[in-house]
Amino acid sequence: MQNFGSNNDLDEKGHVMTDQPKIKVKFEPKPKPSKCPICTIEFYQQFFNIEQRDVYMRVRCSILSWKPEFHECVGKNSDLWGPLWISTTIIFILFAGGNLSRFLLEEDKRHFKYEYNYMYVAVFLVYAMAFIIPIILGVIIKYILKSELGVFDIVCMYGYSLSVYIFVLILCIIPYNEAQWFFLMCGLANSTIFLLVNLRDFMKKNKQTLLIAVPIITFNVALILCFKFYFFRLIYAVDD
Amino acid sequence: MEFEVQENQANNSIQGVINLQPQVNQVQAQQQEIPIKQTDLQVSSTLEESVAVTLLRDLRQIGVKLRCVLVPTMSTNNARELRNWDLWGPLVFCLMLALTLSMSGNNDDGPGIFATIFVLIWVGSFVVTLNAQLLGGKVSFFQSVCVLGYCVFPINLGALFTLFFSFFYLKMLLVIGCFMWSTYSAVGFLKLLIPEQKRILALYPVILFYLFLSWFALIV
Repeated sequence: MQNFGSNNDLDEKGHVMTDQPKIKVKFEPKPKPSKCPICTIEFYQQFFNIEQRDVYMRVRCSILSWKPEFHECVGKNSDLWGPLWISTTIIFILFAGGNLSRFLLEEDKRHFKYEYNYMYVAVFLVYAMAFIIPIILGVIIKYILKSELGVFDIVCMYGYSLSVYIFVLILCIIPYNEAQWFFLMCGLANSTIFLLVNLRDFMKKNKQTLLIAVPIITFNVALILCFKFYFFRLIYAVDD
Repeated sequence: MEFEVQENQANNSIQGVINLQPQVNQVQAQQQEIPIKQTDLQVSSTLEESVAVTLLRDLRQIGVKLRCVLVPTMSTNNARELRNWDLWGPLVFCLMLALTLSMSGNNDDGPGIFATIFVLIWVGSFVVTLNAQLLGGKVSFFQSVCVLGYCVFPINLGALFTLFFSFFYLKMLLVIGCFMWSTYSAVGFLKLLIPEQKRILALYPVILFYLFLSWFALIV
C-alpha cells in the first residue's frame, strides 16, 4: 500500500495522518445466489429459529401424545434442532445403557467385555429412523397424497416422537425382561399414537390415513424389536 | 483527492480510505519513504530459525492458550488470546486421548477405538460449532473448534490417570471431575456468544459431546 501525501507524518500503520476528513468506504460483493439452496448454511438457519421454551413445549406435546396439539405448538416454525439432538441423546443412551444393562447381569464382572459395536449400530438405526424414514414418508405425503404438510414438517414430527424413548430406554437399563418389555410397549404406544393423531387432520380421506398408518406402525414396531433384541437382550448364564 | 485501497481476501471485499485533501506537494511525496511491511521481515526470520526454536514457540503458544481455556477467568486478556485460534493444540490432545484409550489393556480393538475417538472429536466439534452458529450465535467457526479441542485436555488427564488405577469408584470420581472441568470451561467460553433464550439449546450439545468422551475414558 503506497501513500502519496504531503507534509504529513505517518501513523503506526503507515497511513498518512492528515487533518482533512476521510471517508471510509467498504465495497462488498453481493452474495451470489447459490445453485443448490439445500447445500448452503443459510437454508438450514430457518430451522433453528426456536427458543428453549419452544423445545420444552414440543417435547411436552409429544409425551402427552393423545392430544393433537403438535401443529398448534409448531405453527409454521418446524425445527431440526429437536430431531438432531434427541436422536443423538438416544444413541448415547443405547450405547451406554445397553452395555450397562449387560454389565449388571454379568456374574463375572472383572471379565466383562464392552461391546463397541453398539455405537455403530445405534448411529445407523436411530439416524435412519429419525431422518431417512421421515424424508421418504414426507415425500410420499407431500407429493403423492398431496397434503399441505412439507417434508421438513414430517421430519420435525418424527424427531419429537422419539423423545419418549429417552425416558423409556433409561428405564430399560433395569435388567428384568418383563420390565423392559413393559417400558418398550409404553414407548411404542406413545410414539405411534402421537404420529397418527397429528397426521390424521392433514389426510384428506380416511383411506389415506390407513395407508400412512401401516408403514408408521411397522417401522415403530421394528424399532423397538431392534432395541429389545440387540441392545437390551438379556443373556442369562447357562447352568450346566 | 486520493484514495488507498486494500483487498481483503478473507471476505472478498475491498476496503479503502478516500482522502479528500487535494494533492499539494508531489515533490515531497516522492521523497517520502514507502513503509515496508513489518511482516516481510518477520517471515524471513522465521524461515531461518532452527526447528527446535519453531517447535518451542508453538508449544509455548499452546501452553498459553491452554492456561487461558482451563483456568476459566473471564478476563479480556483471555478473550483476546483465544481469538488467535490454532488447531495444533486440539490435534495434539485428540491424538493423545485416542492413543491413551486405544492402548489401555482392557480392550482388544485398539485401532477401532483410536479411529472412533478421533472421528468423534473432530466431527463432534464440527457439529457442535455448526449448531451454535445456526442458532444465531456470533461465534467464529475455527475459534469454537479450537476452544472445544483445548477443553478436551482435562478428559485427557483423566484417561491417563485411570490407566494407573483399577479401583472402579475412584476412576468414576476422577472422570466425573474431569468431565465437569471440561464442560465448565467450554460452556464459560461459549455462553457469552449465544443469545439468552437459546443458550441451553447451544450448550446442551457441548455437554453431550464431553459426556461421550468421558464415558469412553471411563469404560476403556
